[in-house]
Amino acid sequence: MEVWLQLLVNGISIGAVYALFALGYTLVFSVLGVINFAHGAVFTCGAYFTYIFLGGVVGSNGLLAAQKLPVTFPLAIALVLAGLTAAMVGLLVETVAFKPLRRRGAEPLLYLITSLGAGVIIVNLIQLLMGAEAYALPSNILGSMPAVLALGHGLQIRTVQLLLLLVGGVTMLILNIWLNQSLSGKALQAVAEDATTARLLGINSGAMIQLAFAIASFLAGLSGGLVALSVNIGGPYFGISYGLKGLGVLVLGGLGSVPGAMLGGLIIGITEAFVPAKLSAYKDAVAFAFLFLVLIIRPQGLFGKPPIEKV
Amino acid sequence: MFDISLFVLMLLGALLALAVYLPLRAGQLSLATPGFYTIGGTVAALLSTTVPELGGNEQTYPLTSVFLELMLAIPLVALLAFLIGKPVLKLKGIYLAIATIALVEILRVVLLSSPWFGAAVGIFAIPQPFEGPEGYAAAFAVLLGITAWGCQRLETEPLGREMAAIRNDELAARCMGVNSERVKLIAFVLSAIIAAAAGVLAAHFFNSWSARQASFDASITTLAFVVLGGSRTWLGPVIGGLVLTALPELLRPIGDLRLIVFGLVILLGPIFIPQGLIQQKRS
Amino acid sequence: MIGSTSLELNGLSVRFGGLQALDQLSFSLQQGEIFGLIGPNGAGKTTLFNVITGLTAATSGEVRWQGKTTAGLRPDQLCNLGIARTFQNLRVFSDLSCIDNLQIAMGCNDRRTALELLAIMDLQEKGTHIAGSLAYGEQRRLELVRALATKPQLLLLDEPAAGMNPVEKQKLQVLLNTIRKQFQLTILIIEHHVPLMMKLCDRLAVLNFGRCIAIGSPQEVQEDPLVIEAYLGRGA
Repeated sequence: MEVWLQLLVNGISIGAVYALFALGYTLVFSVLGVINFAHGAVFTCGAYFTYIFLGGVVGSNGLLAAQKLPVTFPLAIALVLAGLTAAMVGLLVETVAFKPLRRRGAEPLLYLITSLGAGVIIVNLIQLLMGAEAYALPSNILGSMPAVLALGHGLQIRTVQLLLLLVGGVTMLILNIWLNQSLSGKALQAVAEDATTARLLGINSGAMIQLAFAIASFLAGLSGGLVALSVNIGGPYFGISYGLKGLGVLVLGGLGSVPGAMLGGLIIGITEAFVPAKLSAYKDAVAFAFLFLVLIIRPQGLFGKPPIEKV
Repeated sequence: MFDISLFVLMLLGALLALAVYLPLRAGQLSLATPGFYTIGGTVAALLSTTVPELGGNEQTYPLTSVFLELMLAIPLVALLAFLIGKPVLKLKGIYLAIATIALVEILRVVLLSSPWFGAAVGIFAIPQPFEGPEGYAAAFAVLLGITAWGCQRLETEPLGREMAAIRNDELAARCMGVNSERVKLIAFVLSAIIAAAAGVLAAHFFNSWSARQASFDASITTLAFVVLGGSRTWLGPVIGGLVLTALPELLRPIGDLRLIVFGLVILLGPIFIPQGLIQQKRS
Repeated sequence: MIGSTSLELNGLSVRFGGLQALDQLSFSLQQGEIFGLIGPNGAGKTTLFNVITGLTAATSGEVRWQGKTTAGLRPDQLCNLGIARTFQNLRVFSDLSCIDNLQIAMGCNDRRTALELLAIMDLQEKGTHIAGSLAYGEQRRLELVRALATKPQLLLLDEPAAGMNPVEKQKLQVLLNTIRKQFQLTILIIEHHVPLMMKLCDRLAVLNFGRCIAIGSPQEVQEDPLVIEAYLGRGA
């Protein structure tokens, strides 16, 4: 029983981060109808930014070797700053890789390629500036908090996991309230529903698309920072596998569905946590096999609308 | 000086691009190509390193054995593609793309984790049927030639037109008597066969083989070959594959900047030449 | 063969969630006749076409074609059994040449037949043109001849006169009568232009909210009080 609960706690905390990350994919998809393949690279940016804002020193292999910020930020501020910086990167990606295409109404295939190009550039810029080495975040970021918290009944949780869960949960809550209560959130949903009609109603759909990119990239940056806290940074390419997993979550939940992305994240996180230790090498495959099965049974994902073709 | 090994890689890039192009010609964005490529290579690597009878008595590995590997890998992959394609091709658009990415990921993890396939280090010392890269260049050129000839035939055959019709408007095509399920499946299986055959040759050429061939990056890079070359005729993917494989190598003198320039090319290509390098002639 | 039943609807119903798109439709088409479907937008006319061509499954009831049920058959199978259609919103293969459009429908490489077919529609000059580059009226004619190229016995036309001027409508009427004789077709046609339908059709059915509220010769239908009510509202 306890083992069970322990696995569930582990699954939920990583699932919350998957969900946060996949929400970014789904926001962009809902307004633009395309997938941003640079999203994983923005996630990676978030991890590196967090490292820098926490006062980390750049290693010896990049152009910025041995540089560091003159100030060191506390964890909460460092995470927010990393998210904001990632949002700026996201806006840049939108301007360079998406705007020229959407102005012309280009076919969706082209966005895949341009956003991938943007991702390749970002990842290799990071490598150029910071080197290919792995980075470990400072160990004292949690201050006087213990590394592991006991929850009673033999259940325990790493403080970082709890942080992942809290930040993930609160961010999703805020996002939901914003989407459903605020004027700009509703305008974004209107663009997602029908861009042409929204434009006729006076909503600036270009601005909404940029807003979606900014928020999506903020979420990616934030989740990058959180994951880095939990498992450190494996190198400039470490975002790729998270990028893929995020795609899995996106499709599992249904493209463009906000609750779908949240539930999909939790499902994949929990599924992975329950893969027996003996088979842990196959963990990533399990998540994708699960995704694959869902698609075969329910092609539009859990929360997606079935496509209706007008004849 | 012309580097023949690079030329072999370019031919390989062109072949993989054609494998991506075939389903795309029927409007299906499948990113499973690196998966079938990896399976082809794994079959060749396993057979040639574990079955001593295939080795023969000569210094070099006999070509007949390579042929035998092809004859084994192709039906195996075709069967696999048939079984996978049946359910997967019901998915539309980006869902199909992501389902095929998932398949390649599953394959990669399985190969990486199970000792039968050499796990993370891969399979080493794959015997060489040719003494130098010239032989491989010839073999790849033959394979590319056959594939391109087949694609050219498609341009004038009913099957090729049916593929184009599905790409244009699947629903209308079905109402005009096109069995779209069958046509899409044929395109998918043909694509898998091309990729597997390329994998068999590539395993020998690279001398070692591992699950790293089946990466997500490889899926998207081959797609970039097709989009930048032009996806309307078979010549587009061939040119795209040749040029974009050569590009990072030719950029080697600029060092670490080369992948950034490569990214720029992929980013700017669709913006400035949306139809690709090779565009369809319009009458 | 003229006069025997070709297509038969038996209590055909289609439901989309809460919407009853087709409600207990039962009528049959005689071989060789031109049968018109009229009714307000949303009456279920195109849905009926989609069921007949295998794009939408019936919720209950069935369609019988030449005496056999069509349940479970795919659109391409039904096409090969002799049912062809056009679409309300033009759906020519716009990236392909006119000849390609026809050869796909014919399922073979016969270029000469394709050109002969194009000539019926006065499109013989346009054979190698890309379909998407043709004028609207030309695309309509191309779509019609593409349906003919499948060698149908039953032709379903979904608003073929939409967007046409009076002269073109007149020509269409003559054309449809010609091809009916030449290809020995049964034609089921949806069209909003009532005067055209009165002249063209042997029989008409009027749909409203998925139900067939009247069926008969144009004369009979025109005088039916239920039809007048559906079109003009109660009390007219």
